[in-house]
Amino acid sequence: MRTVSAAETAPTTHPWAVHAEGLRVRAGRHLAVDGLDLALGAGVHGLLGPNGAGKTTLIRALATVVRPAGGRLRLLGEPVDGRADLRRVRRGLGYLPQQFGFYPRFTVREFVEYMAWLKEMPKSMVPGAVQRAIDRVGLTSKANARMKTLSGGMLRRAGIAQAVVNDPEVLLLDEPTVGLDPEQRLDFRELLRDVGLDSCVLVSTHLVEDVVAACSDVVMINEGRLVYQGTPDDLIAQGGTGDAGDSPAERGYSALLRRHRSEAGR
Amino acid sequence: MNRILGIELRRSAAAGSVLMLLLAGVIMLYVAPRRWSPGWMPLVMIQREYLVLLWPLSLAVGAWQSRREHRSNVAELFASTARPRAQRMLPTLAALGIAVTCAYLATAAVAVPWIIGTARYLPATAFVVAAVGALAMIAAAWLGLALGRLLPHVVTAPALAVAGIGLLMVLPAAVRHREWLALIFSPMFGMGQYTDYQTVYGRVSAAQAIWLVALAGAGAVLLASDSWRTRVAALLPAILGASLAIMVIPRDDKFVATPIDPVAQEQVCAEGSPRVCVSRVHSGLLPEVVPVARQALAMLAKLPNPPTTAHEDTTTYYPATSPPRQADVVLMQITVDDHGHLTHEADMLREMVAALGANTDGCSGPSPSVPVMRAAGSWLMGREPVTDDSDESAEVNAEAVKLWQGLQNLPEKEAAARVGAVRQAAMACADLDGLLTGRAQ
Amino acid sequence: MRWLALYLRSRRVPIALAAVVGCAAVMWSLWSTFSNEREVGVPMVILTVLLLVAAVTATLAGPDDALERTAALSWPPRRAAHLLVALAVVVGLLLATLVTGARFGPAWLVIRDAAGLLGLTALGAVTIGAARSWFLPLGWTLASIVFPLSGVTSSEILTWQSQVPGNKTAAVTAALIGVGGLIAYAAAGPARRAPAEAAL
Repeated sequence: MRTVSAAETAPTTHPWAVHAEGLRVRAGRHLAVDGLDLALGAGVHGLLGPNGAGKTTLIRALATVVRPAGGRLRLLGEPVDGRADLRRVRRGLGYLPQQFGFYPRFTVREFVEYMAWLKEMPKSMVPGAVQRAIDRVGLTSKANARMKTLSGGMLRRAGIAQAVVNDPEVLLLDEPTVGLDPEQRLDFRELLRDVGLDSCVLVSTHLVEDVVAACSDVVMINEGRLVYQGTPDDLIAQGGTGDAGDSPAERGYSALLRRHRSEAGR
Repeated sequence: MNRILGIELRRSAAAGSVLMLLLAGVIMLYVAPRRWSPGWMPLVMIQREYLVLLWPLSLAVGAWQSRREHRSNVAELFASTARPRAQRMLPTLAALGIAVTCAYLATAAVAVPWIIGTARYLPATAFVVAAVGALAMIAAAWLGLALGRLLPHVVTAPALAVAGIGLLMVLPAAVRHREWLALIFSPMFGMGQYTDYQTVYGRVSAAQAIWLVALAGAGAVLLASDSWRTRVAALLPAILGASLAIMVIPRDDKFVATPIDPVAQEQVCAEGSPRVCVSRVHSGLLPEVVPVARQALAMLAKLPNPPTTAHEDTTTYYPATSPPRQADVVLMQITVDDHGHLTHEADMLREMVAALGANTDGCSGPSPSVPVMRAAGSWLMGREPVTDDSDESAEVNAEAVKLWQGLQNLPEKEAAARVGAVRQAAMACADLDGLLTGRAQ
Repeated sequence: MRWLALYLRSRRVPIALAAVVGCAAVMWSLWSTFSNEREVGVPMVILTVLLLVAAVTATLAGPDDALERTAALSWPPRRAAHLLVALAVVVGLLLATLVTGARFGPAWLVIRDAAGLLGLTALGAVTIGAARSWFLPLGWTLASIVFPLSGVTSSEILTWQSQVPGNKTAAVTAALIGVGGLIAYAAAGPARRAPAEAAL
């Protein structure tokens, strides 16, 4: 429970939290995202795709870590391509990268507090928000342990905690469930649904079950382009018994991929 | 920001570096306490001299701290945050600045109890000198932070330390004909303790402070910079600061290498009579000096027109100052031991009496005859002349013994009159030959 | 040969070698340019030895020592060889300057200080990790340059880096530290460092 400021309950003026039109992003010299059109609103969006499809590059571009090489990208109604001032947008962002770097000597609480300060949260809100974030990911007992003493799963949860500490309007998670045991994954799905009520959450993952269970929307990209965007049920409907996979969702996934590859080949 | 500063102080290299610098500083001070035991100004100045080790270590601490971001791979995560780099670096800068300042000042604080009993003269300059030293440490730490970020390798920190100490050791020789340059750019230069009255001119401290503030600023700008343009712009404060410092510092003919503080040389007297005065910097030693000095004055009282006051000999050579020559004043040499107390009292007594209370320093021409003075002094002290100089030939002391025995054979008043004549002649810079044997009458 | 090449790359030896040669070249050029004497001053020689030893400290540990420890081949002789080759490189570079216009000598001083400092670094690598192993050699050597005490045996041991080459106490101290470091490093290897992301 926490007090909600007037700014948070004010209606948004932008139609989409994330709006990409013909987005092109480079990863090194290779054009990893090539003409992507994407519109994401509130809810939990799962990002699927084979390795090298440009998922991480897309998430990095949305996190304003890399600048787009072309096309248009608007986050929370503000353009983030070109020479825009990104501070306002970044205050509403939460990002957990795939390679999560941290200061080993900091305790969990100190690290989350440091990230809250980096995201320019108002000072009075920081202690409460930090405690709330740590509670939400279930690290309350380890709040004062140094980060270097944490196991892999706890470290990942600490990363999730720092991503949600400022109650971001756009939450970007790149492989957040690596190292989490099944019970923790269930808790994580609960957290995702909770956050996705008000914000736009984009979760890039290989675990199709997580996508089906927690996401309200599935986005599939391949070779830098959008392949499919729809609900998980529609994804399942795409697949049939002839497709590869051990679950309906996996069959739908491989069916879509096969179809996209054959279309691209033509 | 305060909470973040607290986190940085606890979790960065600040805590470990305080201990390490404090330990290094205290060990260095206590290896040779004689150098700084005379008073407060010697303490702060010798501590500045030991910046030769602490300044490079500060550089290394900054460079090591700067590696943290590189080691921890946080660049990706921090790139998506709102706070600009300049603000993000503020807690690190503040934490390291506080740490090295505390280490530097705590080192001095640890030395305070050692001399608090005897040190009395505390001029404002002492605080200025210590403050400039702390400023030097801050500048080194910030510069180390900036350079460590530019080159985040393991070898950067030790290389910076080696470069730092090399620079400090080489600088005085490199600017041989313009020593005032070394005074600006080397925080340890000009702190030699040739006498107990050394000081540092205010303008020199101001020039050093200007340069160090500029250097610290350049380091901070370099650390906070994102593009190469800002990095080159970081040179600007350094150049400005150096130019301003060069304009402020006394140069060329106004430059004094080892200034003397005249206030430290002023005589401070004990109560009672005969009057015994020492210089202000040694005024804490008066209780120890007074008995010895009065003993010497009592011995000298056998002479006609004896000296009635004992002053400390505050003669210095670079720059040359000397106390005024007065007929009734006998000069004494004050030496201080490891703990700041008076030492070599017997030598002091002997020198006071052997000089017969005559200040012969201002005399041009040959120095007074050693056998005559020694015989006269020994007669006053009531013991046989002994030589204290191993280079001296044996005839000198033999001559003195002969003259002394001659004096011993004379009646008291006659001998006193002759020794008094020797004293008058010495003060008049006249020849002393034959005065004791009576032949020159 | 292939293993050797891969091993050297895993330890980033090419960069370290470049750093060693570069540092030596910089010190050599500085002395040649700014001084007229052929014999380099003793403090500068000691600082150069320190700098070169610091440049090789990064090679004492690989990116993942825990993984390397699971290897079937025997590490102690290889680690010992690594240290000895590092010593040979440092000493060889500086002794090579003896035929040039800026002589970093005397040779015995270079050998003694390099062996002792490298042993101290190896001891540091075993106890506090290779990245931090330059702390003690740096602090100790700088202190002994600033305070070159001599006369009393204990002070000669404490400032062994800056004693004259003929000094027996310093030689014994350096030998003990060097051999001790070699044995400790060969036997135990670098200290275990937790990788930045555990189990990922």
